[in-house]
Amino acid sequence: MGNTWTAVPREWIASFGEIVKFGITVTGEVLGGRVFKFFGEALRQSGILILGSALVIWGLAFILGLTCGLEGAYFNRSVGSPAYAGVFSAWCDLREVIPYAWGYMLSAKVGTGIVAEIGAARITDEVDALEVMGISSMTFLCATRLFAAILVFPFMYTAAIGAGFFASYLAVVQQIGEVSSGGFFLIFWMFQNPPDLLFSIIKAMSMAFAIVIVGLYYGYTASGGPVGVGTATAKSMVLNTVLVHLIGMLGTQVFWGQDPRAPIGG
Amino acid sequence: MKDGLEQVGDMMILTGKTVVSALRPPYPYGGEFVNQFLFALRLCWFPLLVSTVAFGYGAPGLQAGNFLILFGAIDRLGGFFVLASIREFAPFVTAIIVSGVAGTAITADLGARKIREELDALQVLGVDPVKNLVVPRFLSLMVITGLFNIYALLFGILGGVIATLTFNAPLGPFFSTLLTNASIPDLWGSVLKTTCFGAIIAIISCYKGMTASGGAEGVGRAVNQAVVAATTTVFAFNYVFTQVLLATHPEISVIK
Repeated sequence: MGNTWTAVPREWIASFGEIVKFGITVTGEVLGGRVFKFFGEALRQSGILILGSALVIWGLAFILGLTCGLEGAYFNRSVGSPAYAGVFSAWCDLREVIPYAWGYMLSAKVGTGIVAEIGAARITDEVDALEVMGISSMTFLCATRLFAAILVFPFMYTAAIGAGFFASYLAVVQQIGEVSSGGFFLIFWMFQNPPDLLFSIIKAMSMAFAIVIVGLYYGYTASGGPVGVGTATAKSMVLNTVLVHLIGMLGTQVFWGQDPRAPIGG
Repeated sequence: MKDGLEQVGDMMILTGKTVVSALRPPYPYGGEFVNQFLFALRLCWFPLLVSTVAFGYGAPGLQAGNFLILFGAIDRLGGFFVLASIREFAPFVTAIIVSGVAGTAITADLGARKIREELDALQVLGVDPVKNLVVPRFLSLMVITGLFNIYALLFGILGGVIATLTFNAPLGPFFSTLLTNASIPDLWGSVLKTTCFGAIIAIISCYKGMTASGGAEGVGRAVNQAVVAATTTVFAFNYVFTQVLLATHPEISVIK
């Protein structure tokens, strides 16, 4: 990997169609209801997601919420309106930084985790063994994980937003302390409403969907022994970080590009 | 929990060993340093370009631009980009891309060597793996992350330029507020911060790669753990660094 300067972009273009085809197949397995044959396995995967990834995702959201609050407090102090730090926190957290934190941590923790697990199963011929036993490996390994993601992620993400909000509150009100708690929350809630939350969730869920599909693809098609699993894991992370940024930009453009949705002016 | 603390301790020891053996002669790692540097450069340049333009256009460009346009002060977007791009987001995105691209490649590479017992073979031959494998990666990642930060903030600002153009605003005021608000502490703070990020990413990736175990799943698992640990540590470090920089240099947060 990476012998010439254009190796990375060329490889993406080569595998893009494959990934889309793979994604459509897996989504079809879930939407077609075949995944319910392995509902127990899907629940087990949901449990693994919650126990393994929830805390670290909330932790990252918390740290970035602190940074957002800090920058917001200093920025608003510099323009002479420390009372309005809530605007910065509300927009920074809900619209941009928590979705990005979610995308980063999901591709780091869940995406590469999926590649490592399924890739190992592929290398040790467990996938072929499943097929021999008459179990569709696509349904059992891939569709169950996607279904588990659909079950768990909306709730996990909403909680992550909560962690970010709490951290911004701590940074602005408790740490910098130039605005009262009530003053902060007045502005903070004035500058966001339920549609904003919905847009933010749509943005994050698109990222999550892309990350899980890319992870499943690279794991399912891994080859070349133990080294191959490591390389596939690394490659999936590269593609995922770029996808996260592109989806983030598109989401911002679509949801807030024309209408800032702020209670100012007419 | 105890396991985690032990790993942190081991990483500290590895950091110490790396620094000592980087400074103490002989210096056999020159060629490997150049190789690793070019390797990271080849892998990262394109993902970083796409990510920084997308991030700069979306988060600070559109969101802050929308806010400023309500007050008819779109020319202030350039000043905001000092805060957004130079101080926070360019280092963020650089760290994510370097840990996701170069860091994972290092872990996969060293993990594969560990699984194939090449590292043990090197030690038997009397070659020190820390000096010959870890030190060049550590140094090259430090240097390249700092340099990539400059690259990232240039392309982040390009994202801001695109955003300004989509608001049909002239570029002159954007650049004039950008340049009057930018200060030297902002820039060196940003570069220093990313150089530290590079060191953190290199140590964690090398450590996880060199301690990979457990056959086929082991290398993948190591990459997974390395990237999670690197991301979390980098962001935690970033919070502390931003706090110290803002508190010790009050002049940089004055709007000019």
